[in-house]
Amino acid sequence: MRTDSLEGRPAEDAVLVERAQHGDTDAYGELVRRYQALATRTAYVITGTSAEAEDAAQDGFTKAYFALDRFRTGAPFRPWLLRIVANEAKNRRKALGRRPTVDLSVAEDRPSGDTALSPEAAALAGERRELVLGALRKLREEDRLVIAYRYFMDLSEAEMADALGVARGTVKSRLSRALVRLREVASGEVTRDG
Amino acid sequence: MGKTLSDRELEQALTEIGERLPQPTRDMWPAVRERIDKRRARSWWAPVVPRGLLAPIAATLAVLLVVALALTPDLVARAAEILGLRGIQIFRVTATPSPAPTTGAVVTFTGQRAASVEEASRVAGFPVRAPTALGTPDEIYVDAAPVRITLVYRSRQGMPATALPGISALVVEFRGRLDQAVVGKTAGPETHLESVPLNGGVATWLSGQPHQFSYFDPNGNFQAETLRLAGNTLLWEAGGITYRLEAQVTKEEAVRIASTIP
Repeated sequence: MRTDSLEGRPAEDAVLVERAQHGDTDAYGELVRRYQALATRTAYVITGTSAEAEDAAQDGFTKAYFALDRFRTGAPFRPWLLRIVANEAKNRRKALGRRPTVDLSVAEDRPSGDTALSPEAAALAGERRELVLGALRKLREEDRLVIAYRYFMDLSEAEMADALGVARGTVKSRLSRALVRLREVASGEVTRDG
Repeated sequence: MGKTLSDRELEQALTEIGERLPQPTRDMWPAVRERIDKRRARSWWAPVVPRGLLAPIAATLAVLLVVALALTPDLVARAAEILGLRGIQIFRVTATPSPAPTTGAVVTFTGQRAASVEEASRVAGFPVRAPTALGTPDEIYVDAAPVRITLVYRSRQGMPATALPGISALVVEFRGRLDQAVVGKTAGPETHLESVPLNGGVATWLSGQPHQFSYFDPNGNFQAETLRLAGNTLLWEAGGITYRLEAQVTKEEAVRIASTIP
């Protein structure tokens, strides 16, 4: 009893989830492809290494698959998945006994976004990124995650609340507190270095 | 540098960092799928003994151990040994849990009741066929996920009773592909397996103590099926639908019933 989506039009998450719940593994495959980048980035913000992040994301997808029957019909899939993936990444980091500061780093050899900038401006932007990244590394996991959901994943406030497992009203204050801490750490770096 | 970042600069830097975060290097689905299959296989084969029987078996073992200890006090000194190898021997000789613990209980089926074969076909999305040799099924159940039709035949004249009280035969139909080799490998050590001709094709006859077999669902996934009657079963496939007949009849009689499916 399979109802296929109209050709050329991607199926809604809810449709794919329902199909997956009814044993359609390919529908789940589509969800995995749709969110593998988001899941990996979320895990990366916690684990700090690409290999660990991909592994955590894959385990997260696996766990989510077996938890599908507990997924509330009509709820958004994205934050639900990210919550599972983030949990998986946290457990992994704890199991490895890694120190809370992770080896978060980003590729700097991608000039695409900076092509419009003069060499000086590009260099300055690069410095700022290094500074902010260095500060991010020193933040607590929760702070890093709330910042990542907002600025790296572009989640809505409602989605952030779901993904973090907190009330919608507290997301804003959490984010602003995390940003204050980020700025504190970052400016600390500036004074010391300058 | 020596200056603090403005809100805009901070947000800009964060957005830029986000754009530069590593991306997965390849399609993750094959790896995830492998993990799902692995975990599914594990959870299927772990409970060789049905969960409902675990407690009675454990209790029986405990009682047997106590009895053994009481009868032969000199063995107490060698308790460790009893708990080891001898425990297994006691189990083998004495504790043979009844394979039909449901006697007297009311048999229930999952899924929705359907009033007729036609209605069941409509809900299932494939034509449900009932063997004419058994007459009209007494009850029809449709399971939704995965779709599965169960035709229930209460007492039928000339048919011996099954382990389920008040039921002579079950016919179960679902979309799926049978693989003889897989059925053979997954049927369990006490199951006798035989290939028999049916309507120009091949059916598999399971007798003895069949508990489980496996098949491939329409998505190519490996699925395990538990047999309800733990008795004689005929399995066959026609037009992408897997059929199974469970009844305490001979192989020839099962083939005859199966051949009356229109």
